[in-house]
Amino acid sequence: MVSTENLPKHKKEMSLTVNGKKVKAKIDCRMTLAEFLREELELTGTKVGCNRAECGSCTVMMNGKPVLSCTILAVEAQDGEVLTIEGLKGEEGKLHPLQETFIEEDALQCGYCTPGIIMSIIALLDRNAHPTEADVKGAIDGNLCRCGSFPNIIKATLKVSEKNG
Amino acid sequence: MVESKLLVKGVPPPALEREFTIVGRPLNRRDALEKVTGQAKYSGDIKLPNMLCGKILRCPHPRARIRRIETRRAEALPGVKAILTKDNAEGWRTYWYNVPQLAFAECITHEGQEVAAVAAEDITIAQKALDLIDVEYEVLPPMLDVEETLETSLLPLVADEEYPGREIYDRKPYVIKRGDIDKGFAEADVIVEDTYTTQASYHGTIQTRACVASWDNETLTVWDAIQGVWNSKEALGHSMGIAPEKVRVIVKYIGGGFGSKAWSHRISFYAAKLSIVTGRPVRIERTRGEEFLAHPRRWDCKMYIKIGTKRDGTLTAIYERALVNAGAAALETNYYAMQIIWHTSNLHGCPNVYLEQIGVFTNLQINGPTRSPLNMPAIFGLESHMDRVAEAIGMDPLEFRLKNYTNYCTVGSDAGEVPNAALIENDAKIPYSSKTLDECMKLVTKAIGWEKRKSCQIAPAGSRRRGVGMASYLTFQGVGLHPYTAYADVEIKHDGTITLFIGVVDIGGGQGTIFPMIAAEELGVNPDDITVVFGDTKDTRYGPSCHVSRVTSELGPAVLQAAAEARRHLFEIAAPILGAKAEELQSKYGQVYVKSGPWRSVPLKTVYNKIDPEEPIRGGGARAPNPNSPAFSIFGAQAAEVEVDIETGRVDVLRIAAAHDFGRAINPKLCVSQVQGGIEFGVGFALSEEGLYDPKTGKLLNKNLHQYKMPTSLDMPQIDTFLVGAEDPYFAYSAKGAGENTNAPTPAAIRNAIYNAIGIWFNDLPITPDKILKAIHEKRKGG
Repeated sequence: MVSTENLPKHKKEMSLTVNGKKVKAKIDCRMTLAEFLREELELTGTKVGCNRAECGSCTVMMNGKPVLSCTILAVEAQDGEVLTIEGLKGEEGKLHPLQETFIEEDALQCGYCTPGIIMSIIALLDRNAHPTEADVKGAIDGNLCRCGSFPNIIKATLKVSEKNG
Repeated sequence: MVESKLLVKGVPPPALEREFTIVGRPLNRRDALEKVTGQAKYSGDIKLPNMLCGKILRCPHPRARIRRIETRRAEALPGVKAILTKDNAEGWRTYWYNVPQLAFAECITHEGQEVAAVAAEDITIAQKALDLIDVEYEVLPPMLDVEETLETSLLPLVADEEYPGREIYDRKPYVIKRGDIDKGFAEADVIVEDTYTTQASYHGTIQTRACVASWDNETLTVWDAIQGVWNSKEALGHSMGIAPEKVRVIVKYIGGGFGSKAWSHRISFYAAKLSIVTGRPVRIERTRGEEFLAHPRRWDCKMYIKIGTKRDGTLTAIYERALVNAGAAALETNYYAMQIIWHTSNLHGCPNVYLEQIGVFTNLQINGPTRSPLNMPAIFGLESHMDRVAEAIGMDPLEFRLKNYTNYCTVGSDAGEVPNAALIENDAKIPYSSKTLDECMKLVTKAIGWEKRKSCQIAPAGSRRRGVGMASYLTFQGVGLHPYTAYADVEIKHDGTITLFIGVVDIGGGQGTIFPMIAAEELGVNPDDITVVFGDTKDTRYGPSCHVSRVTSELGPAVLQAAAEARRHLFEIAAPILGAKAEELQSKYGQVYVKSGPWRSVPLKTVYNKIDPEEPIRGGGARAPNPNSPAFSIFGAQAAEVEVDIETGRVDVLRIAAAHDFGRAINPKLCVSQVQGGIEFGVGFALSEEGLYDPKTGKLLNKNLHQYKMPTSLDMPQIDTFLVGAEDPYFAYSAKGAGENTNAPTPAAIRNAIYNAIGIWFNDLPITPDKILKAIHEKRKGG
């Protein structure tokens, strides 16, 4: 029997840094990081494709590591640093080199998985500036792309790696 | 000079008579920047002030009758704003491919069918409200298996008494007949028969369906994830009892479609109705589980094929009986299964055929367009069997296909229409407008290293065996449902602003990129000079839904005609400046020049300035229907190299060579992406993807992306793509559709390569490791 009483309201004050900006919010403890980014901060570049850690489209960086924001509670990001696709652009709106090669190599079609895939690859390039093809495949094996852009995604990543010198 | 046969209403515009400046260039897609920066707003990203959240209560049983629904407890929950059920929305219908369906039926015909729709202040309350709705079901034993259902006299449950419709199509054979099948088999030296089965499969779009609807007492605005804004507008208006002109549908971005979003689907209607009832905007977003249950999946099929041939490889007879599981409902009911035999009828030349397909309604999910819906199963069966027959007569599979090559279509391209007879009997030979399939087949076999098929299975050491295989396909072009017309408009203003208005969606194929390329070529300007209004019913005229690879072939001629008309007006203004007649002029790179003396030129900017500021130049284009002859098709072939591990049963697809004839590629970069996407679908269908149903309850067991196994980055082969095309004067710069069907030959090519590797035919998709190990074991036991 489900209770008909008023729904619980567990709110918590928290602060964190999102894309370099300090954010303070009073948030529902049940909210995932993805929901918080999308619904509260309106950073809708982070997508939710499955909401159960299967598709990778919600990938963001938290404290320097890629995480699936659909299966992390927002409160876990307390005092942390979160980087989303919206935070990738450099000074004066300059694109990240990976975003540029994604455009050049047509590494996307519908574009829905793209932010998550870019974040997974950013994490890879942070670890390893010169990945092999196998490294790239491994880094995005948890990111589903149904349009089949994988060959071009790999090409775009290796091109950035070459640019890294 | 080649006569222009462009498929437009009125007189086709004159040919360009100059080299291309834009068409054929591998330009970047125009919306890539928004997509790589996260700025692209998909339907589920739209947030309106005061917006409510909608949720759907779905029946957990495939076949049931609702005895009673009690919503009082849910209504009492604070924050719940509206609940719709069959009790308060009686007789309300939604439309799917013009097929009326009760929005809330008493008889449930498939798992996940909608029972109630709730709007609440937030998603938690909406979800809670669903838990508080009490439904009492009479659960009935589901009809699941096609062959069992065929043998019973039990009728399927009818969800909509007023529009039953289904008995017209249920269990009824459609036949394509040509020549004399008995004579054909009598003439054959060798006859080979076998049965092929393919599975239910799913689109797996990464965006689940999301819709925001907002009713302001006058206009209904819907931000949706659908492939066609215009068909959705009409369907929504009809369902809500609102004049279509008061419905606006907007799709700026869509997170994958592959047919699943080809037409407005149920949640759009519920969101709209809930917005009308509450007077507030409503967003409904499906969960991944709902996405699996409520999507029209791909029909599962069983195909018995019997082919007769002479020793020299000349086909004498093809017989096929295809059983198609139409689920609880299917696109335009189940005639669509005709697609199977259409492909079998037309791919190879054979004078005697008898092909029948039978669609059977069951209580599995509804079926609908799924990237090459029945083409891929049909081609899998036929192209697998062609290799079987080639082996039986000791002929090379490529040579066998070339031997039976045909330049004629035998059942016209109108197969997308509901046939008015259950029997199509003719010996027609309709020529194709263009066809280069032979070149495609030669290219891919050469690229894969066809000579390896004689030796490669024994080459690698250890437990791995390599093999190569091929398959070909065709599919009709420019056909969809009513109407055939596609419109386009071009407007040029005094200040030089050029706008192209097209009522189509960019599904990710790059429609928003290639149509301005066509208009730019015709106008002689840079594509970046053109603003495109698309994915919105406001300011555009009817455009086709982006499915059946139809948009380029249907809208392309209209865009070209619209741009040509605008250009004619520009030339009329430029003519006195250049002291020449309008018809003596041509334009490129932003200059108008005299054809006979190109040094006499004037910048288009000068011409724009002379346009009446009050009256912009306008050009309109309208697509004409396909004629009865010639037939329009696209073609292609793929060859695969695989490695099979005989210890584990694992198959690695190492390489696929793909050659496709789409006519001319407007933008080859985008066409190559389409081929890669198709191959991903094909690899999944061949090796891993399968909807699994509980045989007793009929419930879908793997409705998530973990257990429904779509290919990942690790599963993708190396892909070599060749775009082969011929001049085809019926289309805009010879451009036909390039998207959907690039997966059609992949499963058969992989299956034929597996045979080459380990000498076992696999006829049942997907070819999973357990099937491979079992077959190897049986083969060893047997000999």
